[in-house]
Amino acid sequence: MKANAISRSLEENEAYLRQRFHPSSDIVFRVFALQDRTPLLLVYLDGMASVESIEANVLKPLLFGGLPEGIDRMRTLAETLRREWVPLANVLTDESLESLVKHILQGNMAILADGEASALVAQVQGYEKRSIQEPLKESTLRGSKEGFVENIRTNQSLIRRRIAHADLKMESFTIGEYTRTEVMLVYMQGMADEKVLASVREKLKGIELEGVIDSSYIEEWLENNSFSLFSQIQNTERPDIVTASLLQGKVALLTSGTPFALVLPVSFWSGLQSADDYFERFTFVMLTRFIRYVMTFISFALPAIYVALSTFHPEMVPSYLMISIATARENSPFPTVIEVFLMMFVFDGLQEAGVHLPNQLGPVVSIIGALVIGQAAVEAGIISTPIIIVISLTGVAAYTIPRYSATLPFRLLRYILLFVTGLLGFVGFAYGIIFLLIHLVMLESFGTPYLSPIAPFDGRRMKDLFIRYPFWMKSGRNKKGRQS
Amino acid sequence: MRFLLLLPCCLLASIALSACTDFVEPNQLAFVMGTAVDRAEGGLIEVSDQIVIPSQLSGPPNRGGGSSGDAGSSIVMSATGRDVFEASEKIQRKMSRRLMTSHRIMLAVSEAFFNENDAGKLFDKLGRDPANNMRDMTIVVRGGSAKEILMLRHPLERLTSIAAGKELQINGLTKFSSRQLILEHYTDGLRPLLPVLQIEKVRTSSKESTPFAALSGFAVLNKQLRIKGVLDENESAAAVWMSGKGAYQGLTIPWKNGKGLLSFRLVHLKRTIRTRSCGDSKCAELEVKAQAYLVENTTSLDMSQIRNMTDTERYMNAEIQRDFQRTMNKIQQWGPDIFGIGEHLHRHYPYWWKSRQHDWDERFKTLDVTVKADISLISIGSSGGQMK
Repeated sequence: MKANAISRSLEENEAYLRQRFHPSSDIVFRVFALQDRTPLLLVYLDGMASVESIEANVLKPLLFGGLPEGIDRMRTLAETLRREWVPLANVLTDESLESLVKHILQGNMAILADGEASALVAQVQGYEKRSIQEPLKESTLRGSKEGFVENIRTNQSLIRRRIAHADLKMESFTIGEYTRTEVMLVYMQGMADEKVLASVREKLKGIELEGVIDSSYIEEWLENNSFSLFSQIQNTERPDIVTASLLQGKVALLTSGTPFALVLPVSFWSGLQSADDYFERFTFVMLTRFIRYVMTFISFALPAIYVALSTFHPEMVPSYLMISIATARENSPFPTVIEVFLMMFVFDGLQEAGVHLPNQLGPVVSIIGALVIGQAAVEAGIISTPIIIVISLTGVAAYTIPRYSATLPFRLLRYILLFVTGLLGFVGFAYGIIFLLIHLVMLESFGTPYLSPIAPFDGRRMKDLFIRYPFWMKSGRNKKGRQS
Repeated sequence: MRFLLLLPCCLLASIALSACTDFVEPNQLAFVMGTAVDRAEGGLIEVSDQIVIPSQLSGPPNRGGGSSGDAGSSIVMSATGRDVFEASEKIQRKMSRRLMTSHRIMLAVSEAFFNENDAGKLFDKLGRDPANNMRDMTIVVRGGSAKEILMLRHPLERLTSIAAGKELQINGLTKFSSRQLILEHYTDGLRPLLPVLQIEKVRTSSKESTPFAALSGFAVLNKQLRIKGVLDENESAAAVWMSGKGAYQGLTIPWKNGKGLLSFRLVHLKRTIRTRSCGDSKCAELEVKAQAYLVENTTSLDMSQIRNMTDTERYMNAEIQRDFQRTMNKIQQWGPDIFGIGEHLHRHYPYWWKSRQHDWDERFKTLDVTVKADISLISIGSSGGQMK
């Protein structure tokens, strides 16, 4: 017999549970006798369990109805209660005190009876949760306005609602020694790559974390190359993106307590594609994608290109433009590289301040940013105008990338490229780009090359890269999964 | 991880390999917009650079200072030397900034220099030194030194160099870059044709008349880059068209009976060379093609009559043919083949050419070249007949 098995004595069980939860004040022990014969013990956490549900579904039937005469002694009391007396959908019996503790902590109620070695667990969870809202970070002009919430059951349902097919599988994992966070592995059976699934399962089981606060904790454990600037797992708040990814044979992970689902494997390009690309007319999407790709390049390369052109290779700039630049930079006290670096630093600093400032103080940053940095610095002749233009353009360009986390590698690359270009001009720029490409070509996300379908080239999958082909032209693409 | 380790290693290596102090701030550069080459005493070359002063150039127009043609938006620095480089180095020694010739727009060479020096040596520097972009226009300055042109002030543009560049460009004369000149210089069957600038006094306002560098014709140069003759305005238009360097031009001809004039705008200027054997020599035919728009008609012709239109077209072709043939004959008398007929023969009759390439200038004089015109009148304008 296991040490924490439920004892037949109710007092022993109660003592164990009281000691386990001591000195928490939000645990409720409710003892009552059933028709003056059998004492029953209800244990639940105040606030986690719904009091209305307990009253309506457990207390009322038991207190007012009472057990029928001639109870079948072959059954345990818990079994009888489960079968006949507790009008709840989700009820199970348990025989271990420790697992009872887990259930109680999740907001369920334990019902113990004297003289029984098993307990009944009634699912009466009822805590406050956020309702479904429009995802703020990934809003689209057209398409679903639903976003994931912190509750994993709601999130599950958001996906189930969209894919009404039995092949949609959801496997549950509990991760985190203390937080015991539920993580749900979601995939389409037959479409998702079994190798990817196996490796994800294995990695999920191998996670040693005390707590899982957000899906990012899981993300870092799953990633093959943690030192890369580029994330190999996509995160999204949008159920429709997850649905579309599942139908492409990708795998999603839902984590309890966060609205951010993880999608894998991903490629470099999926970070640059927006849900809107699939909702708008494809002819217009050609333009937006082109703009986005160009702006992405600008977002990491423009400061470096400006430095290379104006200080290393002024002969490459058209004459009139070069003279304009020279005129503007006539009285600049700093070398161009330093000036660009300073402005980039200040820009990122303002951005960081803007993120952390309370909403009421938000305008302060923009005023200081625009007036002090933008205007005063130029008028004082400390910073030259072309550099302000370059840095603002660069900063804005990064936000044409639809997902915030996809902009981060480019914001870092900016500094690296500026550094090498400041040393070596276009030679350094070329070095930077070459190493970037080498790295990207080597990078893999769960077996999928990061730059695919460009490298290795796959003409069939190019139909959704630079030009999104109309859906009827792409049909049949996902018939047999393994798409990434 | 490997990426992070490799990058600094390679950078360090490349810093060692290259000079990492290559960068020059824009305020350490002196942008040369125009260069003038004159001859100096004792067989020396005088090089003058027109350098912009960025602080004098206005950025936004409201910032004050530097209105167009403002005094002191550029300076001209001169030095003499045995060759271009030596002279440039002497200028450099006087300057606080590094001379940057890549943005040069105009290279002015005085006529006297062409006549007394071997200009081929001058252009060697242009072709060899990668610091020249070779997009600059090469022009000949007639009557006076080239340096003077740089010192002139232009009423419209900031610098005379910019003005000269734009003047050629706006008139459809874009094929007169240094690069073109060097190509022509090294091609056996083609001789250079260069625009000629001359200083003229122009009354720009009621009070004063300003000296002004204006395009006054084209110089025909021989293999040794010596000026064999300068064409006047009418001949220039014909020569430019026939050598395939023009894009569009105007044409005014008197009508047959001498009463009234017809003016056309000609676009899509093209020319074709055809050669054939005739006897033991070769004959060439140069056909010019264009589309003509009638823009002015002071004759009594009613252009809505189709007969008048075809008459006009035929007459215009005959006139052009006659005119161009005269120009052709004149240039043939001088010798240099600016049309590239020699080059055409070179390609079509390589063996015939081989024995004749050395004295092509002499042979071109006696070559039988006929000019044909094929100009179609495609528009008579918005009014048909004569205004009553």
